[in-house]
Amino acid sequence: MANRINLNMTTVENRELRLGTIIGWDGSAKELIEQSAYDERSIKKHGGCKGAGQGCRLCELQSPLNQETMCSNAIVQCQIGNLTDCVLINHAPIGCSSEDAKFNLTMHMGLARRGKPQQNTLNISTNLQEKDMVFGGAAKLRQAIRIAKERYNPKAIFIAMACATAITGEDIDSVAEEMEPEVGVPIIPLHCEGFRSKHWSTGFDVAFHGVLRQIVEKHPKKKQKDLINIIALWGTDWFTDLLKPLGLRVNYLLDCASFEEIRQASEAVATTTFCETLGGYMGAALEDQFGVPQIDAPQPYGIKGTDAWLRAVAKVVGKEKEVEEYIESEHKRIAPKLEEYREYFKGKYGMVLTGSAYAHGLISVLAELGIKNEAALVFHHDPVYDGAGKNQDTLKELVETYGDIPHYTVSKTRAFQLPQLLKRVKTDFLIIRHPGLASVAGHLGVPTFALGDEHIPIGYDGILRVGEILKGVLARTKFNKTLQRHVRLPYNDWWFSQTDPFKLTNDKDVFKDIEEKLGE
Amino acid sequence: MSEIQKKKPSVISDVRYACAVGATNTVVAIKGAVPIANCSPGCQLKTTAMLTFENGFQGSIAAGGGNMPSSNATENDVVFGGIKTLDNLIKSSLKIYDGDLFVVLTGCTGELIGDNVPDLVGKYQKAGYPIVYANTAGFKGNNLYGHEVVVDAIIDQFVGDYSGEKKKGLINLWFETPYYNQNWRGDYQELARILRGAGFDVNVLFGPENPGVEAWKRIPQAQFNLVVSPWVGVKNAEHLQKKYDQPYLHIPEIPVGEEATTKFIRQVVEYAGIDKKQSEEFIKQEASIYYYYLEHFSEFFAEYWYGMPSEFVVTADAAYALAYSKFLADQIGLIPKRVIITDNTPAKFRPAITEYFKNNISEGVSIDVDFEEDGYEVEKLIESVEFTAGKPLILGTSWELTLANKKGALFFEISTPSSETLIVNRSHIGYKGALQFLERIYSASVGGK
Repeated sequence: MANRINLNMTTVENRELRLGTIIGWDGSAKELIEQSAYDERSIKKHGGCKGAGQGCRLCELQSPLNQETMCSNAIVQCQIGNLTDCVLINHAPIGCSSEDAKFNLTMHMGLARRGKPQQNTLNISTNLQEKDMVFGGAAKLRQAIRIAKERYNPKAIFIAMACATAITGEDIDSVAEEMEPEVGVPIIPLHCEGFRSKHWSTGFDVAFHGVLRQIVEKHPKKKQKDLINIIALWGTDWFTDLLKPLGLRVNYLLDCASFEEIRQASEAVATTTFCETLGGYMGAALEDQFGVPQIDAPQPYGIKGTDAWLRAVAKVVGKEKEVEEYIESEHKRIAPKLEEYREYFKGKYGMVLTGSAYAHGLISVLAELGIKNEAALVFHHDPVYDGAGKNQDTLKELVETYGDIPHYTVSKTRAFQLPQLLKRVKTDFLIIRHPGLASVAGHLGVPTFALGDEHIPIGYDGILRVGEILKGVLARTKFNKTLQRHVRLPYNDWWFSQTDPFKLTNDKDVFKDIEEKLGE
Repeated sequence: MSEIQKKKPSVISDVRYACAVGATNTVVAIKGAVPIANCSPGCQLKTTAMLTFENGFQGSIAAGGGNMPSSNATENDVVFGGIKTLDNLIKSSLKIYDGDLFVVLTGCTGELIGDNVPDLVGKYQKAGYPIVYANTAGFKGNNLYGHEVVVDAIIDQFVGDYSGEKKKGLINLWFETPYYNQNWRGDYQELARILRGAGFDVNVLFGPENPGVEAWKRIPQAQFNLVVSPWVGVKNAEHLQKKYDQPYLHIPEIPVGEEATTKFIRQVVEYAGIDKKQSEEFIKQEASIYYYYLEHFSEFFAEYWYGMPSEFVVTADAAYALAYSKFLADQIGLIPKRVIITDNTPAKFRPAITEYFKNNISEGVSIDVDFEEDGYEVEKLIESVEFTAGKPLILGTSWELTLANKKGALFFEISTPSSETLIVNRSHIGYKGALQFLERIYSASVGGK
């Protein structure tokens, strides 16, 4: 088997190169599955011969208009910046740290959900100034490392690269290597500058790459037979409920984790995740280079997905018999409540706007609740994941189980397309997992569910949890109708009259009037 | 303080402001204006997260937040230049936004790769589009600095030259940096209300009472510029003085409470030389209502026998640290134990602010104010305070929550970032706001807390 992950370099090849990630596409989910050729790419990821196909580039719609969005540096902050006993130094001007307060709130929430003591994030900005752009910021970085050690006595110190420091050519690798003996803890450079990748999810890979190289135990002395890695964010600890019957303890990575919890990842019996987009890199690397198998199964969403996922986990721990009894009793347990919700949501339409693999999971849950999905918007599409497991083609799994999604759009946080996206299908509510879009959609008379606790929809109970929340969300339609009657989005009548969300891309004459005025 | 700390460069933990490119929010505060962010992906999400979300969850509007155009620079732009990307972005923005003014703000990436933005924007200006550019790289300063840069850019490139008459009684109000203080919208309204009540025609340039970009076109006609802040906006007023031969009145103290507000009105009226009849009538009316409420409040203040705070600590930007400290120390009789200013006040304004806290806060009250932007040091400064009377009161940011709990202090947020507060429409200044401020402080004291 080929090594799918290269841990020799400090840098990570970005997702567009490694996976063929795109951020603009519009068509049906079925068409995208065909074009993605997951199986061929999967064979290639596993070292298959060239005859299996190159996994050619997907067609991608480029947009001349982009809007407020996230970057890899922010993702690193939300991952590494939320470790309990490690410091993240953002080697950057101050603005790159301006989301720290938000990640501090998120960490407080996460710690509470996991029953850990409250603490603030351990963060430092080198706060680079104009003169540092000219003369370099290495001296400041060295001082920041010393201050990090003195202030927080951390188990490890991470250095995040930013756009400004990447352009001026700061050598964070050398400073990290040089300073490590002095401070006596791992110093881990993270090449997560915002412009590096067109999609922020590369930032997840950068964060995992750093801990895989310098924290995860390379030669574990023991195996913890009852420990399973869950690649997660800050979600409530529902994986314990789900896995306890199989005798497993969970090891959540990375948010709210300690150095020790990361170190022991190689001692675990397996790795799995709530989202292949997030967890693929870590799962594949732990399997290839640390001998910890990843769970090759559909994600644990909806009844069929959860069944299959539980069976795959049970197989690893030799509980094939027990799991069947467990699954059967769970089906029985949730059936009456599920029936109630299916009745309640009869005739309702939903639309999911999230990262890609997570969207596939969420749509499954809506389908279980009897809610129709005629459209979905994902912020990126990865034609294959790093894990590339046979059973991890999440989009195919979704369509084969629950049917096609006629309007499947890939577009990275372009709020201006929402009027067109909502115009072409019936939608009673939206589920959105990214800042900036829910409030815009909310102006269009549709209630939105900003899904913050990403574990809400997992497993059997996840279906019921989503149903319960959606009852409240639908009631909020009143607020959105009021807003729609009185408040207008900042776009002009011409734009509202359009039907194609990619009009600016597809109509080559669209700027003719402006170009004429400019004399172009 | 250890040797390392003494030699520390300007590193910052627990950040309390955004960078210059966060001044896109200054544009959002002008009705009909559209910011065009020429920066990397992440820049706007991060700065906006701090200014509009983690700041009383005050939210954004129009072309702010998720609706904001942003060039989201890629590796390709960094290697080959980002002008083509920006050109497309400007064209698209002009095509689909309802905008009366477009402001291109360039961040670190565009500035470092040396894109010629003035040249590109100039092409649109020549064709008659209402568009301006501002250099707001994050390494040049914080969002307060960026705010002043954007204001000057709009004045120079959009308002333009003027040689007409000035109108007596018309004043341009230069006040808070929009979306920075959590109460900025309500405070703009209260200050505008007070100045109108006193007989002025108030040109409101930001916030709920800004009528649109036409207010900006009116700037040169004003009799004078009124700057109400210890330092933000002084640079713009100096610029306007040179550009339009327009004088300015600088009042560092945002008035809170009847006595301060009445003094404020009299100072502005005196400076303007307008008739005092209306302003005195307004003062009389407002004062009567103010004390009507204060007398009711005084019953609680006298009779509440379950204890209340006596000593307080403030950590905030210069403007609100000063305004709130003065009101609490001078009008209520709370004892200031420490005041920490966290907005990177420019060096030239610091002596005057220091002096103000030493000798001007209230009779018998003198404070050695600290200027400190690094949250770790801010926390140390608060931690070292020895509270000696009653429950301590900490007025600060969400970064102080854990510390306040540890100290058993009453705590609420008055400054960026704020995650424990939701603000829709609130003011703590002037006549009306001061009473709301009292409600907020003493609500934190009542009911078995």
